[in-house]
Amino acid sequence: MIAYIAKRLLSALITIYVVVTLSFYMVRLMPGNPIAFLEAELEQQGGVPPDQIQQQVRAIFGVQPHGPLWLQYLQYVGNIFRGNFGNSALNPGVSVLSIIAAALPWTILVVGVALFVSFLIGIVVGTLMASYPDSRFAKIATGVVSLLSSIPNYLVAIVLIYVLADQMHLFPVSAAYSNATTPGVNLPFILSVLYHAILPIAAYTIVSFGGWALAMKGSVTTILGADYVRAAESKGLGPRRVTQSYIGRNAMLPMVTNLALSLGYLFGGSVFIEFYFGYPGIGYRLIDAVDSRDYSLMMGCFLLITIAVVFANLFVDLLYPLVDPRIVSPAARRQRADTSPTLEEKVHA
Amino acid sequence: MELIKDLWRICRSDRSAMIGGAVVLLYVIIAVIGPYVAHVGTQQNPGDAYLGPSLAHPLGTDFIGQDVLTELIVGTRPVIEVGLCSALIVVTVGVIVGLLTGYIGGLIDSLVMRVTDIFLTIPGLPLVIVIASVIHSSSPFVLAVILSVTAWAGLARAVRSQALSLRSADFIDAARVQGLPLRTMIGRQLLPNVGPYVAINFLLAITGAIYAEVGLFILGIAPISGTNWGIMINLGMNQGALYTTKSMLYLFSPMAAIVVLQVSLVFFARALDRLFNPRLRVQ
Repeated sequence: MIAYIAKRLLSALITIYVVVTLSFYMVRLMPGNPIAFLEAELEQQGGVPPDQIQQQVRAIFGVQPHGPLWLQYLQYVGNIFRGNFGNSALNPGVSVLSIIAAALPWTILVVGVALFVSFLIGIVVGTLMASYPDSRFAKIATGVVSLLSSIPNYLVAIVLIYVLADQMHLFPVSAAYSNATTPGVNLPFILSVLYHAILPIAAYTIVSFGGWALAMKGSVTTILGADYVRAAESKGLGPRRVTQSYIGRNAMLPMVTNLALSLGYLFGGSVFIEFYFGYPGIGYRLIDAVDSRDYSLMMGCFLLITIAVVFANLFVDLLYPLVDPRIVSPAARRQRADTSPTLEEKVHA
Repeated sequence: MELIKDLWRICRSDRSAMIGGAVVLLYVIIAVIGPYVAHVGTQQNPGDAYLGPSLAHPLGTDFIGQDVLTELIVGTRPVIEVGLCSALIVVTVGVIVGLLTGYIGGLIDSLVMRVTDIFLTIPGLPLVIVIASVIHSSSPFVLAVILSVTAWAGLARAVRSQALSLRSADFIDAARVQGLPLRTMIGRQLLPNVGPYVAINFLLAITGAIYAEVGLFILGIAPISGTNWGIMINLGMNQGALYTTKSMLYLFSPMAAIVVLQVSLVFFARALDRLFNPRLRVQ
């Protein structure tokens, strides 16, 4: 068990380290890289002595632009592991971390609720689809679900805004809460937050519950044919008992693995959803930073989205032994890793 | 030949697969001949802006008086081009990495798989956005490479697990005893066996690439020049299409084009899945 935790923790840290290195490469070495861009911009403005340019670059990116490359790399990595992501290029003196710290809770709220809701709906619909494969419900649901899960989320967002917010005025067009409320633990504020979060959550859920439903359907269908299910049925156990304890629990296992994989997808999708709903989360900040060429903020957003996803993955990994105790025994783990995903799972990922 | 007969039989018995395949074919034809039959002019005719549907303009006109249907047709090629190109890269890298690591095994396998896992964890879209905004290239090939940057990892893992199970098969043993070189082992022995799986993933990779590509144009991160569906939506939104009903057709036509293509690709992939996976056919 301890070996399992240590391994997961180590691989999470390595992933973060690699991503930080990758982002250093992008910030410093790629053609048209942000540091060179900022230097050129400052030089063009004129009237700034070279050493002051260096100081400004250092203040924004935390890297001495004319030092040796290895030193720049060490400075960059060291800063990030100390939680220093530099300053925003557009808002002098404002740290990237403080901007992101204000944005991240909104994203986690919307992504978290959406994940929970779509997971729940998907599991129920998928189980029903597999249990009554010849029913009219299953046929209609299969069609609807495969249709919805192949529609890009930004198109759903645009349609929702257009119909429900702009034409029918049922929901707010942007922002996370109404200006008329004061942030804090009071009822009007909480209601306002929920009210503003409904459309973004709906946009995520509409496109993603279908993937869960199809994956769950596949998983339940395989287990329906298993010997232990037949044994349970022939023992005379009621259908409810069989569905819950014999089919449901086992069919959930691959779902939990998918949970981890879909997190990255959801956080990625937040870029579109938050952009269109004017929702001040981290995806919105990322696009904002790209538009205004605020590269230090952009890299910070990217790094923190990645770190958030890595830790969420780690969390699911650590949760997994509770769901499937076999996982801590190496032999069982190998076996699981070697079963290839089905088409339904691929579509979802 | 047998395969095509089978595919035809499955398509005939499954209407959604048939429609999916036909629609995909139609899009490919439009992408190939589109630029020859339709031209998007450069002159602006503000007097013709936001016309409703008519015989001359079946889908109306946009904010500078261009015919929306023409733009839609011309915009097909860039989208499909990048989608195909990116899917090719994804499949090539994914299959090579997957087969090599799965077949060779050992230290190389565990090292490469660690790297693959890292790419699996990194959220693809933010990375693509960051790279695209730094590079800022309008070349379709560069765009396709950027879109493939994390997408290969999932396929590589899946192909590897197939290669792992094939490795102990009798025919692989037989081939190994003959002393065939690695190139032949991978290319002639393993590859044909994962072919079907790869074909399906090729279609899915196209949908993934189109999703991200159009997204980049909609957000305005990829350079806005020329005509494609993402640029149409981007311009439509920037012209305030959300706040007026008169540009509804201009905004919703490219969206419909994307949805129809994506859904058809997935439905067609399902038909392929049934073709290659007899177990599913019995179900």
